[in-house]
Amino acid sequence: MKRFFLLVTVLCFLLAGCGFDAPSTVSGTSTEIVEEPSDTASVPESAQHQGELPASQPFDVRLFAMDTYMELRAYGDGAEDALQAVSSMLTELDQLLSVTDEGSEIYALNHGEGQPAAVSEQTYELIEDALALSRNLADALDMTIYPVSRAWGFTTGSYQIPSDSQLQALLPFVDDTQVVLNERDGTVRIPPSAELDLAAVAKGYAGDRAAEMMKQAGVRSALLNLGSSTIRTVGVKPDGSQWRIAIQDPQDSSGLAGVVTMGEGAMDTSGGYERFFTGADGETYWHILDPKTGYPAKHGLISVTVLSETSFLGDGLSTALFVMGLEEAVRYWRANGGFEFILIADDGSLYLSEGAAERFSPIGNYENAKMTVIKP
Amino acid sequence: MKPMIQTKTWMILFAALLALLIAAALLVSHRGTGKIANVYQDGVCIRSIDLSAVTEAYSFTVTDGKGHENLIEVAPGQIRVAEANCPDHVCVHTGWISDGLRPIVCLPARLSIQLEDTAQSETEGLDAVIG
Repeated sequence: MKRFFLLVTVLCFLLAGCGFDAPSTVSGTSTEIVEEPSDTASVPESAQHQGELPASQPFDVRLFAMDTYMELRAYGDGAEDALQAVSSMLTELDQLLSVTDEGSEIYALNHGEGQPAAVSEQTYELIEDALALSRNLADALDMTIYPVSRAWGFTTGSYQIPSDSQLQALLPFVDDTQVVLNERDGTVRIPPSAELDLAAVAKGYAGDRAAEMMKQAGVRSALLNLGSSTIRTVGVKPDGSQWRIAIQDPQDSSGLAGVVTMGEGAMDTSGGYERFFTGADGETYWHILDPKTGYPAKHGLISVTVLSETSFLGDGLSTALFVMGLEEAVRYWRANGGFEFILIADDGSLYLSEGAAERFSPIGNYENAKMTVIKP
Repeated sequence: MKPMIQTKTWMILFAALLALLIAAALLVSHRGTGKIANVYQDGVCIRSIDLSAVTEAYSFTVTDGKGHENLIEVAPGQIRVAEANCPDHVCVHTGWISDGLRPIVCLPARLSIQLEDTAQSETEGLDAVIG
């Protein structure tokens, strides 16, 4: 009898998109966990005849958080509960770190008139780590670029080209070395007129925390897509094979440039094509800004992918390498290591670190692209 | 024996339901690949469309009660946001989608459109697209 019910359930999933039954909205939450019908459909014939569900069922969550759209997929026992916990964590983190939400800790710091303010231990540590990374990346990454980004309209989507004098007036306040952390009382001080925004690393940080929570809940396989430019994995695929992640063709939004195979870890991409506009002058202006000039970073790269152990590092690095340009990015990698990279230059050629080249295969328009492998 | 009758009735009901489902499943599988596009509002599925069963293009508007409007166009095998009143128009610029790898997303309207996994030669075996 139990098997009979299971079979009915399987058939229901085979048939049902969401339209067939009313969406099971949990009031007050913004997420819905659904069992993926597609994988139920790929159950081997014999298993289906017995009415048995696959050992590793995928569960999906979709949510809007941190100014992006996230898709989280986890497999196996405990996956459903872990996903629910992770999506709550992401929503809470968003509320803590939002630049625009008046109730957030970052908002309080930015509007503290230059006075030190206490923040939660978690936020303190994140700011500390973000500033350390930023310091290590010198001029390529700055956590206080937000006012410049706002002047361009990248924070709202109402794009505009700011005047040069407007940018010159904002640039003196873009300097995250002026943020003061006081370990003794756990306070942070942002200079007046400066604004801290952790967006460059927040999604990566969230990915690492989500992965940690997944593992603690006993989940051995998960693919966490934190807004299409940050992917964090837990373990490998349920069948034991590696994850296969494609990199978008930066010059054709419907095309792909290549495929990377990876086990547990992080993959982060930054590209000028993600958020951009064409000015009245016919020029393309994108959202990755050079903290030195206040203008979009155009140093020969159109797509930067970083493979690293943590998405915190990968998230920050992919933006920074994009700002650096090819030569400086390679120099930084040789001096620091600890990650692999795939760079696409504006002439369509590829530059890969040795470790990345072993895991990468070009596809589509990039099948015959010039590929340079860079040794440490 | 009242409970016995009830059990029997339920059995028959379930058998009928099962037969109906099998018939429907056969119908769907004969109709084509069953390329399902799901439209989500704030992560909750509000509409499912079998794109392989679409023979003539049509469109409909999704509103969120906060002033956001997205005009969704459905055509054989593909779907897109044709018009929207959001400031950045990222959803419109994404254009048509016809595979399960890349969703259409409108952040201001908290709208997303995604196809269920499909095994197409170009995207087969891929778990995600980053970009």
